[in-house]
Amino acid sequence: MTFKELLPTDHLSAATRATLVQRLAEAERAPAYEPQFFAPETLRLLEAVAARVFPQPERPVPILLAPAVDRRLAEGRADGWRYDALPPDREAYKLGLGGIQQIAQALFRADFETLAPEKQDAVIEALASGNPPGEVWQTLPADRFFEEILAELTSTYYAHPWAQDEIGYTGYADLPAWTRIGLNEKEPREQPLDTSGGALSLVPTAL
Amino acid sequence: MPDEEIAEEGILTPIQPAVQDPLLRELLADQAPLDTPLAQPQPTPTPPETVDCVVIGLGAGGSPLLARLAQAGLKVVALEAGPWHNPEKDFATDEAAQDFLFWNDERLAAGKDPLAMGRNNSGTGVGGSTLHYTAYTPRPLPDDLHLKRDFGQGEDWPLTYDDLAPYFEEVEQFLGVSGPTPYPWGPARPKGYALPPLPLNSAAQLMLRGAEKIGIRTSPAANAALSGRYYQEGVGWREACTNRGFCQAGCSNGAKSSMDVTYIPLAVKYGADIRPHSFVTEIERDARGYVVAVVYTQNGTPHRLPCRNLFLCGGSVETPRLLLLNELANTSGQVGRNLMAHTGVQVWGTFADEVRPNKGIPGGLISQDTHRPADADFVGGYLLQSIGVMPVTFAGQVARGRKLWGQPLRDYMRQYNRIAGINILGDCLPHADNFLEISDELDGRQLPKPRLHFTAQENELRMNAHAERTMRRIWEAAGATDIWAFGRYAHVIGTARMGLSGDDAVVDRDGRAFDVPNLYICDNSTFPSALSVNPALTIMALSLRTADKFLERERRRDK
Repeated sequence: MTFKELLPTDHLSAATRATLVQRLAEAERAPAYEPQFFAPETLRLLEAVAARVFPQPERPVPILLAPAVDRRLAEGRADGWRYDALPPDREAYKLGLGGIQQIAQALFRADFETLAPEKQDAVIEALASGNPPGEVWQTLPADRFFEEILAELTSTYYAHPWAQDEIGYTGYADLPAWTRIGLNEKEPREQPLDTSGGALSLVPTAL
Repeated sequence: MPDEEIAEEGILTPIQPAVQDPLLRELLADQAPLDTPLAQPQPTPTPPETVDCVVIGLGAGGSPLLARLAQAGLKVVALEAGPWHNPEKDFATDEAAQDFLFWNDERLAAGKDPLAMGRNNSGTGVGGSTLHYTAYTPRPLPDDLHLKRDFGQGEDWPLTYDDLAPYFEEVEQFLGVSGPTPYPWGPARPKGYALPPLPLNSAAQLMLRGAEKIGIRTSPAANAALSGRYYQEGVGWREACTNRGFCQAGCSNGAKSSMDVTYIPLAVKYGADIRPHSFVTEIERDARGYVVAVVYTQNGTPHRLPCRNLFLCGGSVETPRLLLLNELANTSGQVGRNLMAHTGVQVWGTFADEVRPNKGIPGGLISQDTHRPADADFVGGYLLQSIGVMPVTFAGQVARGRKLWGQPLRDYMRQYNRIAGINILGDCLPHADNFLEISDELDGRQLPKPRLHFTAQENELRMNAHAERTMRRIWEAAGATDIWAFGRYAHVIGTARMGLSGDDAVVDRDGRAFDVPNLYICDNSTFPSALSVNPALTIMALSLRTADKFLERERRRDK
């Protein structure tokens, strides 16, 4: 079963349902999100980067990832640690996003948001390679910054119920007890797998 | 220095650290000007009652001894920095929502192999990191405790396996550990596990398949989660595990034996006073160097709690941080040193079979055949463990470990239900480059952040390489494709180590600080060596032993 089918059922505990309903509501409000930490143009840049890290051509409305980052930085939340080689998160994000703009300028003499998708990918690839052009990267370790931004966007993306549907995960629907837990076993409420090696594609083909 | 603290009789605050050397102390006291705090004892209005014992931190180190001390009739107060949850009501089956289980104040990770903290290596709340431990409770093997004797490297424990064995058994029986009887590795045991093993999930079945083919012996693992209903004093009947696979994000039905459903209710039954949201900032001493009180903040309000004895059980980051900030118990210079982290490399593979790795106890299968491998080019050894995984945790590791992004990341993650892993838990040697220090950057509590330096040394690198080869062979034999390794280190260990002498150790074999006679430390900071097994069971065993040794000493004093 998909998230939409499972949500109203007794397979979810009250605490789990409340959490997921709230996350969906936040996601629905995301397109109108007013940044609390970044300047509006910086938030747009971050969303443009996120759109290449998680391209979602099949979704009429993509899962937006930048608002969660902005909200976290505004509230000053941390995940318990940071690389000593990086400055504090707020500073690292501001510097790093400025650095991404510097890579775009160095490679294509244009702002990141204005580039075609394949050129945007080339900018991210330069960042991921660990040695991109740009003054920022003389002091900010590119590999560590890329790892941090990638990990945060990834955690945000896969916390979304649509993304969990995409990978065939139904673990949130954990009532009653799982009894079929061995190889090639599944409960009726779990999603079937397709035969090509992944979960069933839930949406029509890419645009 | 606030005035009300100066007014207390004979108090030295940490800003003027107690001098530990008796002779030097005498000399200094002779020269002390008349207006020092020492010379001005003043009566205080209605001083708060002095309790027998204060316990700081309610994880695997603090909780068992808290119960033991309360059972002995002592007046005990536990100060826990985090909240007291109601898992059945509060815990969602959602990783992001459960982030509150981790110590999320920022720690700085330095060195060539910076240690991930947060979800990986920390905990907060009544129950500490047992709220999100995987419940893996193998015993150390006897030779884990004497690496130096066997290899000439590392450290020996001032305790033997036989000293700890009765406590392992007691903890296993009390928690209701589910495991195989007999256990295939280590000395014979007078008593088997409390319950039969939990069912093997897909990852465990796959590891069994691969290991059998290449001649590695495996066994269902010992896990502190109930394979059947279990009766426990102070709690009543606890329900069996529902195979939810969410151990690392908090158990919602009490089947996992975290401290909040085991030793803490027992402690409460015998009168222990549990104070959540209580963050300790200062440890006060008298002129003799004895602890006399702790100062803590609860919901923004400062409190001072006088005590006769202090048990510091904050884990191997907060324990040394508190000691260093208070300049306490460190004449050896070892506080913060000897930082070790278990080698924990994971190997993941994709299978044609349906795995659905979120279900079942994550670490279902174990092998300790690699405890002292015949072809080892390193000191010590490791255990092998099958691993299931929750999706957000896995995705984060894919991001950090494989650096996949864009369509390849989404494509890889679509195979989630066909992914299974194995990992190791291996020993680590102390090294001068690996230590914890206090940085000059302040955290949200306006306290300096700890900085953890960790660089894997030759021994760890060789062990990881050996382990990765072994696990790749198992996964290839089991039919995995697209096999990849994620290098990681788990558990911070050794930052207030135990030893025979105060010259090179912080506490003695009973957990008592060499410098401070009424200060005990119990958590993984006291481990002299890392051990080749997960630390929780050993911490709990040490906790009960520390309480017993303390009580013996108290009884002798009564006579």
